[in-house]
Amino acid sequence: MDRRSFLQTGAVVAASGALAAPALSQGAAARTLRFVPQANLANYDPIWGTQFVVRNASMLVWDTLYGIDNTFTPRRQMVESEEVSSDGLTWTFRLRSGLRWHDGEPVRAQDCVVSLERWMVRDGMGQMIRALKQELVATDDRTFRLRLSAPYPKMLLALGKNNTPIAFMMPERIARTDPFQQITEYVGSGPMRFNRNEWVPGARATWTKFDQYVPRDEAPNWLSGGKRMMVDRVEWIIQPDPATASAALQQGEVDWWETPLNDLIPVLRRNRNIRIDVADPLGNVGCLRFNHLHAPFNDPRVRQAVAWVVNQPDFMGAVVGGDAALWKQMNGFFTPETPNYTEAGGEILSRPRSVADARRLLQEGGYNGQPVTMLVAQDIAALSAMGQVANAALRSIGMNVDFVATDWGTVGARRASREPVARGGWNIFFTWFAGADCTNPASYLGLRAHGDGAWFGWPSDPAIEAGRDKWFAAANAAEEKAACEEINRAACQSFPFVPTGFYRAYQSWRSNVSGVTAGPLPWFWGVSKS
Amino acid sequence: MWAYIFRRVLATIPVMAIVALFVFSLLYLAPGDPAAVIAGDQASPDDVERIRASLGLDRPYLVRFGEWVFNILRGDLGTSIFTNLPVSHMIMQRVEPTLSLMVVTLVLSVTIAVPMGVVAAWKQGTHADRAVMAFAVLGFSVPVFVVGYVLAYVFALELDWLPVQGYTPLSQGLWPWFENLILPSIALGTVYIALIARITRATMLEVLSQDYIRTARAKGVGQRAILFLHALKNAAVPIVTVIGIGIALLIGGAVVTESVFAIPGLGRLTVDAILRRDYPVIQGVVLLFSFVYVLVNLVIDLLYTLFDPRIRY
Repeated sequence: MDRRSFLQTGAVVAASGALAAPALSQGAAARTLRFVPQANLANYDPIWGTQFVVRNASMLVWDTLYGIDNTFTPRRQMVESEEVSSDGLTWTFRLRSGLRWHDGEPVRAQDCVVSLERWMVRDGMGQMIRALKQELVATDDRTFRLRLSAPYPKMLLALGKNNTPIAFMMPERIARTDPFQQITEYVGSGPMRFNRNEWVPGARATWTKFDQYVPRDEAPNWLSGGKRMMVDRVEWIIQPDPATASAALQQGEVDWWETPLNDLIPVLRRNRNIRIDVADPLGNVGCLRFNHLHAPFNDPRVRQAVAWVVNQPDFMGAVVGGDAALWKQMNGFFTPETPNYTEAGGEILSRPRSVADARRLLQEGGYNGQPVTMLVAQDIAALSAMGQVANAALRSIGMNVDFVATDWGTVGARRASREPVARGGWNIFFTWFAGADCTNPASYLGLRAHGDGAWFGWPSDPAIEAGRDKWFAAANAAEEKAACEEINRAACQSFPFVPTGFYRAYQSWRSNVSGVTAGPLPWFWGVSKS
Repeated sequence: MWAYIFRRVLATIPVMAIVALFVFSLLYLAPGDPAAVIAGDQASPDDVERIRASLGLDRPYLVRFGEWVFNILRGDLGTSIFTNLPVSHMIMQRVEPTLSLMVVTLVLSVTIAVPMGVVAAWKQGTHADRAVMAFAVLGFSVPVFVVGYVLAYVFALELDWLPVQGYTPLSQGLWPWFENLILPSIALGTVYIALIARITRATMLEVLSQDYIRTARAKGVGQRAILFLHALKNAAVPIVTVIGIGIALLIGGAVVTESVFAIPGLGRLTVDAILRRDYPVIQGVVLLFSFVYVLVNLVIDLLYTLFDPRIRY
């Protein structure tokens, strides 16, 4: 054989071997749901990393003791029954029978005890329970008991809420991991198993249906009910570029896109094979956050001055574009269209904008023209838009804005600084809160006002905290609403932040996919593909 | 020759050491905090602080640098802060797509650009020459992502000939692999084709005016033989140099191309790591890119001896 014949033969053999690879059958493709998530799944520990994308992926693998439905009522999930003593101090929980981990081992009460211990360290409501905890023990394989030093009426909400970190149950050996260290095994008892060997962070994550999962009999409703998987496999395909994701959806290379860019919605609407609807009715609450530690925003009058010129239509127009159906004016702090929403004391937000009032308050607050350092993340479209609008608004009342255009990674680091601006601190940054977190005070970090322990910006307002305590002690919905009104009134005076508006986003999916429903996170159960 | 190669390989060590020091220091000084990104927007400042401590990010610069260098010397690039996976594992996951993209782009570019440059030089001043030069200007001027979007729109969305995005490993078939690489390679290769075509043209023009070419023509040697056998071989050294330098262009362009076409390669790994401040991954990838670049330069130097027998090492 000469050199040329050898090369020719080799090339033919290599090509024929490679070309002979099997292709997926149509049936297999129909049993695989390809989903474009909101962000990259960079880690997979829902207690250690509390990003929403981690929580959403974790819902597939890990189950919860309770789960809220669309009326925010916690329903039993892994729990078969619970009993609370007449003094409200002792809770006894009994697990459903037949629950299994993905490694085939049965779910035991001891697993849940250790899982709750880990969760309690990281979660706000969990920390409250931990502070009251006298004893948390498994009394048999399916029963565990929690004894408290004082009643905690919001116990079931804490165990079934959808706010991060969720109280996910893990096998004892995994749950024993330090809450500030990442777990290394991804074994749960949820409806899908995680295919760790196929995980390429930044590109792809996949799950396979867990055949031994025992769904509840009730119809699925948000985090509650029977989580029946209608597909055998779920693939998350990370798409860093929205235009590419849009094209992939139009071409049928993906089935469901969680967060299409608003600018691309008209393009998607023109495609008859694509469905579009609001992703989360609870939406998001835009936030202009102050640093309360340093001048000028350590004076409530200066914060009120800013509130007077925050014109929500301007902010929301910049964030969601011209689609009026996607946003709503909010003259209060709680999520609009939910039971606790109130406009009590919200005149400063509802009345016509007033530059004159703002200037007067600035003067009274002693603003002397010092620079106001505004951190604006340019790599997140909504935050960049809010920053541009706020910049113009603050300049209109004579504030000397130092507009720091940077990326979210830098904002995330710099906002943690309590130093004055001259030493690397800040005055304002922008973010948003998931509307689901703002339906009540429990997980509403932006509304905490307990000084040093509060969220970035460290506001201090005893009236807000007192209202919060009343909400936790409330025995019924009317008392809860009254507490929220008290909080709202106080917040509209002290302004821990200024709401820049309530907005929703769309999700889109191929017409051959059915069962997609709206909610604070994407539900994969009940979704099928033809 | 072997002594030369050995010396050059040895010389990479100080280069890599300087790169390592530079990259580590730059990241140390750069603003941003991976702990804040990990903790998420809803985390409390205390949570962020505890995560920072658990990751060892609160330790002094020299301690962290020393530990990193020590681990590298043992062949350990560290563990990703976010994924908890070894950096070497993450790099290995991403090598094939990037390597595939670069090889296809390189082959495509050289195959198209060199003949284009030769023809432009041969037909200097004609419409063919002007067309090649116009393409070169366009190739330099239009950003990679614009070319990518246009190609995806025309060939994927409108004509439905090729997939919009993604990557299929070679193990799953030659055509599925190649199909996914056609559009990204053309997008990435446009600027590269422009560069090589221009250099080829300029070098060929110089060579074609040499006495030995005139002599060959006088002897009745055919045009094709003159162009490709005599002229091109003598013009090869600068062309090969530019091809080598262009590898850096490809690495830079791959970052954008992989994002536009959702190819899970090293470029995207780099961007994701930078945005999240995943220091071990950034350090590992930059070290790898530097090593590849040093290696490519060595290969280019060795190729000189192939094209010009007068060059000896």
